[in-house]
Amino acid sequence: MQPSQSTSRRWLRSAVAVAACASSLLLVGCGGTDSSSNAATYFDPTQYSSNAAASLAQATELASTTHHQIVINGTTLAYHATAGHLTVSSPTTGAPEASIFYVAYILEPANATTRPLTFFYNGGPGSSTIWLHLGSFGPKRLVTGDPSTTAVSPFPLVDNAESLLDTTDLVFVDAVGTGFSEAVAPNTNLAYWGVDADGAIFRDFVVRYLAVNARAASPLFLFGESYGTTRSALLAFLLETAGVRLNGVILQSSILNYNSNCGVTGNAVVSCGGYVPSYGAIGAYYQLDVPNPTDAALPAFVAQMRALTISDYQPAVTQFLASGAVPNATLLDTLGNTTGLSAQKWGTNFNLGPDVYQPTLIAGILIGIYDARVSAPLLSPLAQSGDPSSSFITPSFANAIDGYLAVDLQYTTPSRYTPLSNALQVWTFAHDGLALPDVLPDLAAALALNPNLRVLSLNGYYDLATPFFQTETDLARLGVNANVQTTFYRAGHMTYLDDQARIAEKADLVQFYQRASARK
Amino acid sequence: MNWTAFTARPLRRAPLCWLFSAVLMGAAHLVPAASAAGADESKPLAPGPTLRDPWVPPESRRPSASPPTQGVALRTQVERKLRQAFEAADVDHLGTLTQKQASAGGLGFVARHFAEIDRGKTGKVRFEDVKRYLVEHGAQLE
Repeated sequence: MQPSQSTSRRWLRSAVAVAACASSLLLVGCGGTDSSSNAATYFDPTQYSSNAAASLAQATELASTTHHQIVINGTTLAYHATAGHLTVSSPTTGAPEASIFYVAYILEPANATTRPLTFFYNGGPGSSTIWLHLGSFGPKRLVTGDPSTTAVSPFPLVDNAESLLDTTDLVFVDAVGTGFSEAVAPNTNLAYWGVDADGAIFRDFVVRYLAVNARAASPLFLFGESYGTTRSALLAFLLETAGVRLNGVILQSSILNYNSNCGVTGNAVVSCGGYVPSYGAIGAYYQLDVPNPTDAALPAFVAQMRALTISDYQPAVTQFLASGAVPNATLLDTLGNTTGLSAQKWGTNFNLGPDVYQPTLIAGILIGIYDARVSAPLLSPLAQSGDPSSSFITPSFANAIDGYLAVDLQYTTPSRYTPLSNALQVWTFAHDGLALPDVLPDLAAALALNPNLRVLSLNGYYDLATPFFQTETDLARLGVNANVQTTFYRAGHMTYLDDQARIAEKADLVQFYQRASARK
Repeated sequence: MNWTAFTARPLRRAPLCWLFSAVLMGAAHLVPAASAAGADESKPLAPGPTLRDPWVPPESRRPSASPPTQGVALRTQVERKLRQAFEAADVDHLGTLTQKQASAGGLGFVARHFAEIDRGKTGKVRFEDVKRYLVEHGAQLE
């Protein structure tokens, strides 16, 4: 949307706003929300833009507050939700930099000193935080039916029995130029579309949130997904440097080194070995491995695939990339039997990336990138975006957020929430001397500043975007560290969308919070 | 104004608005299938352009030619990062920081632990003092 608007566009937005206000008033009248006496609705008249050149003339720190209840593990918990903005200022000049939109869920009664606080964000870069906010461990979640594609859309939004609200307060944060977050003049959104600038603005948001809400003493956690894990590693270093002590960093489906993921860089020089164990698991899911392991044997089979990758595939692919040397037929047969692809396909694409595996595993079918268990016929509507697992869920998530904020959380605005900006196209990926970010050293630096810091890496066996073995390989650079823990689920990239995986993941997270909250 | 105007205008305008956004923002922008309030639940939502994360534009795919750092090389890199943060706060380039300078330079970690780092009670700390403090507290540095 353009910063300058014609009269008719402005009129249109006021009309939408009045209509939205009218509908929320109606709902309040009908008892549609459980607001109590100190609840506050908020009509935010600001017109937010996700354009690279956009900026706000000024910013205010206002928010709606609504009161709710949720049942978790048979216990009814009361909480309040806050939806609005905080103005993030430069730590050196004090000048306002950006107005950051967030939604916080706070358990009542609150104990700010012992109650953990977790900041959640998706990645992209350029993605808002709708996926974690409405799909993972917030008090509400969209019912996706993952990995099936038969669920009726739009998906219903239900109380989330696996919400982490019984364990930690939750703050969902939108990056600059996404959701309703925008730069404040003279800065533009583009100024924060780079690895380092984005990390710094998130640091300054966390600092501002802790100060405004008097939460400096709370056990603190970061929960990022995908590019959000890149952000988390850097953000952990920046926060520790700034004197903000973290308890834990939760890495949901990681990319800690863009230079090591051949799905991102292409397969000309970067080994695809990090994907091979995932191909094994996906082949097994489709009953294409020979012999095909049972579901119960999946972890043991995946362990064999890791060993095969290290001992046989990796040396062969190093030779192949250096000299074009053709691998021996025995290895090609083994790879064929253990990944569901033919030996012949491995022979013609030895450094085999997910872009080859995804459309060729099953003739005429495209399997998902985010969740390889999701499939659709090639050229079908779900396959047209290149990822049926993403196509199936995206419209429901993108369409649920505006109504949820306006009706449930009483935050209304003439703007439309930006689920995904075009920041990715112009993002400054350079970081610490490399053209593509490697933030493992940032995580290591955070651990040097805070040896008590705990890291939990969550992984899906069927994720073709951030394969688990690549993440394990990247984290292994830290050396032996008892504070770094890795877990695996029979799920895709957004492991939490799977009803069974979400239950297992919640249990692992609760244990992690118990261990990590103890000392700071 | 009347209610017909409120409801009919946004719905009529919406497809134009999406087209406008799609042209402006390129393929990465999500195309809303219907307005939040006006979603027609009887029809499946049309898939639009979707998120691909992680992803890098082709012209930016320039992976490092060096193998990833680990062991001594990684610890050296960590020390360099810590030293850079120290030097960024040391605006006078004297090689030392007072507690006030550390705080003003965004080095809250040093400001917060200043009394423990400044063992000699000189009111100033060097990077080596910070490093010694970190190693004593369990940091793996060279």
